[in-house]
Parts: sequence; structure tokens; C-alpha cells
Amino acid sequence: MPAFEPDPVIEAYKKDIDRTLIRENLRLTVEQRFEKLMALQRFAEELRRAGRAARQTK
Amino acid sequence: MTDFRALLENLAKAGVQFIVVGGAAATAHGSARLTADLDIVYQRSPDNLRRLVRALEQFHPYPRGAPPGLPFLWDERTVSNGLNFTLVTGLGDLDLLGEITGGGGYDRLLPYSVVLRVFGSECRCLDLERLIQVKRAAGRPKDLEAIAELEAILEERAGSAPEP
Repeated sequence: MPAFEPDPVIEAYKKDIDRTLIRENLRLTVEQRFEKLMALQRFAEELRRAGRAARQTK
Repeated sequence: MTDFRALLENLAKAGVQFIVVGGAAATAHGSARLTADLDIVYQRSPDNLRRLVRALEQFHPYPRGAPPGLPFLWDERTVSNGLNFTLVTGLGDLDLLGEITGGGGYDRLLPYSVVLRVFGSECRCLDLERLIQVKRAAGRPKDLEAIAELEAILEERAGSAPEP
């Protein structure tokens, strides 16, 4: 029995969820999940910086 | 970048009563989505406001996106007169919420929170079921994918995930 009344729109989105990522995260501790989030933030920031630099040298 | 570790450590060590909600709560439950800020629902008792103000004052909270130089004073009166604050601090972006849509304030959310032991401190986090419920109640189109992921996490935890 589902915990929530299925919403067709949410169910449609659910098909594209990468469950391997979820399973990987569920094996981590909460602390490791936050460390991973901060690493992802640093990576995103580095990409933004590189994008800005590339636009300036164009 | 938001230093989740330092923010949570400082709030917990100062004895602030708060519940982690939003994207950071989703991360705690296993979400793989990127979130930029820490959202917390804080208890609004005078003692807690005092602890909250003291815990953050060294990081100079300021309204996020506001032009510099506004006469914004970070003190108990400011927090008491307002409710929800979207702030930038020396540790990153922090949303202080007195209430959230579909969930109410701290006291109403407390029975639906779990205690997390994280970075050497204990802090409360909205449980997965209530997090889904408040995101559904908020009804924001941008949350649809996040809700789908949270429901998938719930299914994975219950071992009821559909076969690929």
C-alpha cells in the first residue's frame, strides 16, 4: 500500500529518478551525505568560475 | 558555498531549537539533488530567539539579495518582529523559517522530526513522510521532481521499489 495517494504528475517524474544514486546515498551515513553535497557545491562553483573565465577570454 | 557543517555545529552548540527542512533535510534522507542553502524552522520562544541571534551574530547575517548598506540590525527584536528570513551569512545561505506552508511552526513539526547525529552534534530534521507532505502542500512546480525523488527514497527504504 503506497504511503501517499499517487499523484499522476509525480508518478511521471518518478520514472526518471536515478534509483542507483538513491541506493548509493542510502548506504552512506548522514554526515557523508552532507560531505557529498558540499563536494558537489564546490564542483558546481568551479564549473561556474570556469564558465565565467571562458566567456571573458572569448 | 554553504558550509552545512559549520552552520549546524554552531546552531546545535548554541542550544538553538530548530528543525532542518527543505533540500538539506532531503539530503539527510538520501537525496542526490544539489541544494544551495540550509533551511531551518526555528522555535520562537524569547529564549530561543536569544540563542539564535547569539549563535549567528559572528557570521553577520544579512538579507540575501538586498543591496548593501541597509539598516538591517541582527538582534532579537528584528527576529521577533519578522517570521521568515532569507539570509546570507559568513557560512553561506541560511533560511530561517518561523513557519512553513502545510507544516506550521516548530512546535507543530516537532512530533514529525527525527534526531540526527551529525558532525558531532545532535540536530532535528523533518522526517521523510512529513517532508513529502509539506512539499506536496506547497504545490510549487519546481518541487515536483524533488517530491518524486523523496517518494522513491521512501519506496527504496521500505523495499517496495518497482522492478526496473
